[in-house]
Amino acid sequence: MRANFIFSEVWIGLRRNLTMTIAVVITVAVGMAMLGVGLMINAQVGMMKGYWDDKVEVSVFLCTKGSAMESCKGKEVSNAQKEALNTLIKGTPGVKEVFFEDQSAAYQNFQKLYATNKALVSTAKVEDMPQSFRIKVADPNNYKAVVQALQGQPGVSQVLDQAQLVGPFFEMLDKLAFYALAVAIILVLAAALLIGNTVRLSAFNRRRETGIMRLVGASNLYIQLPFVMEGVIAGLIGGVFAAVILIVTKVFLFEELGKYLGDATAQLGWNDVAQTITITMVIGVVICVLASFVTLRRYLRV
Amino acid sequence: MIHFDNVTKVYANQNRPALDHVSVDVDKGEFVFLVGPSGSGKSTFLRLVLKEERPNSGAIHVAGKDLARLSNFKVPHLRRRIGCVFQDFRLLPNKNVYENVAFALEVIGKPRRFIRKVVPEVIELVGLEGKAHRMPDELSGGEQQRVAMARAFVNRPMILLADEPTGNIDPATSIGIMKVLDRINRTGTTVVMATHDAAIVDSMRKRVVELEDGKIVRDQSRGVYGQAY
Repeated sequence: MRANFIFSEVWIGLRRNLTMTIAVVITVAVGMAMLGVGLMINAQVGMMKGYWDDKVEVSVFLCTKGSAMESCKGKEVSNAQKEALNTLIKGTPGVKEVFFEDQSAAYQNFQKLYATNKALVSTAKVEDMPQSFRIKVADPNNYKAVVQALQGQPGVSQVLDQAQLVGPFFEMLDKLAFYALAVAIILVLAAALLIGNTVRLSAFNRRRETGIMRLVGASNLYIQLPFVMEGVIAGLIGGVFAAVILIVTKVFLFEELGKYLGDATAQLGWNDVAQTITITMVIGVVICVLASFVTLRRYLRV
Repeated sequence: MIHFDNVTKVYANQNRPALDHVSVDVDKGEFVFLVGPSGSGKSTFLRLVLKEERPNSGAIHVAGKDLARLSNFKVPHLRRRIGCVFQDFRLLPNKNVYENVAFALEVIGKPRRFIRKVVPEVIELVGLEGKAHRMPDELSGGEQQRVAMARAFVNRPMILLADEPTGNIDPATSIGIMKVLDRINRTGTTVVMATHDAAIVDSMRKRVVELEDGKIVRDQSRGVYGQAY
C-alpha cells in the first residue's frame, strides 16, 4: 500500500470539490459542536444537581410575634409547640438531620445576606427574625412528603423548600440540553447526506481513474480508500472546529455560569471537555466513514 | 488459458442471448481474432473473461481458475493477470505517458523501485522511447494506443484482451499497433483481439473465431476475415 499515492488522490479529490468540502466541514463542525454542547450541559446539570442536592434543605419557619400568616393567629410560637414540632420532625420518615436556627443566628445570616443594604439591616431587629428548623432530607427528590407533614402545624408560619426554587432552573437546562441534542441529530443527518453527495461527486469526477484501477486489478480497498479518506479528513477538520467551539463555550459560558451557581466542585472540568471532544470527534469520523462507504457501495461497483 | 464450456449470457431486459451456448478453448501463447458484426457478442466474450459479467449458464475457466467459484474478493487478482486495450485508449489526460503506465502498477501497490525499472522498458517495447514525458493530448491516436498497450502489458499479464484496438486508427498506423501486439504475443502472452478490421485479420494469418448472433459460426487456425467457404 502506497500511502503517498493515496494521499495525493485524496488531496486532488478534496481540491476538486472544494465547495462541497467546505460545506461538509461547516456542517460537521456545527453539528458536532451542538452535540458537544448538549453533552456538556447534561454533564453540568448532573454535577450541579449533585451539588445542590447536598445543600438543599427544607426550612420550617416558625411564627413570630405579630406574624401576618394566618396559621400563627398573631402569636409567637411557644416552647411547647417547638418541642412538639421537634419530635414530629424527627419522627417524619425521610428526614436525615435537623437543626434549629434561633433568632440571633437568623439575624447574623440576615446581616450577612444584606450587608450591602445598610438601611434594611439597620431597621431589622433580632426580634423580627423568625426562628426556624432546617431539615436535610434523605432523598432530595422526595421532599414533598416532609413539606406536607409540617405544613399547617401549630406554630409553623411557612414551610419553604429550596429545591422548589432551583427546580425550574434545572428544568430549563434540561430543555436546553434536549434541544441542543435534537438540533445536533438533525445536523449530523445533514452532514451524513452531504458527505454522501461529496463522495458521489468525487467518484463521478474520477470515474476514469477508478475504471482503470478496476481494470488493472486494484483491490477494492485501494479504489475506495481515497474516497473514504476524503470524508474522514473533511470530518476531522470539522471536528477540530467543533473542538474549538466547545473550548470557547466552556470558557465563556460554563465558567461564567458556574460563578453564579455553586462553587468549584460543581464546575465542569477540562477532563469533561476533553471527553466530550473525543466523543464528538469519534462520532464525526464514524459517520463520515459510514456515509462514504454506503455511497461508494452504490456508486463505485467493483 | 481461456476455456468456455457451453456458455450462455442473456442481459437483463433482453430476450435474445448475447452469447448462445459458446464453447471455445484458447491455449497459452495463442493469438486469436474474434470477428463478427456489431452485437455478435465479441465484447460480451471479453467482459466474461474479466468477470465483469457473469454467464447465465456454462462454465468459464481463465488461467486455470473457475470464474464461477472465484470470490469477488479475488477478482482483482484475476484482473492483474489480464491486460486490456480498448478502442478509446482510456488514458488519464492529466498524466503523462510515464505516469499513465506507472499508474497501473501504483494502484496494485508495486514498490517504486520496481516501477522505475519496468516502466521505461515497456515504453520502449511499444516504441515510445523518448516520449515518456509527453501528455496524451500531445500524441497521435496510434501513439496513445501504444501507451494503452504499455499500460496493459507493464504487469506482464498472461492474457491480453484487445477490444477493437485499431478502431480509431488509420490503416497505416494500425500495422504498427499490430506489430506491438505481435511482439507482446511472442513473449508468451495469450492475445485475444476483437476486431472489424478485415485487412488486419487477413494479413496476420492467425486463428479466427467468428461470432454471429452470439453463436460461433467459424473457428479456423490461420484464418482470414471473410467467409472461407
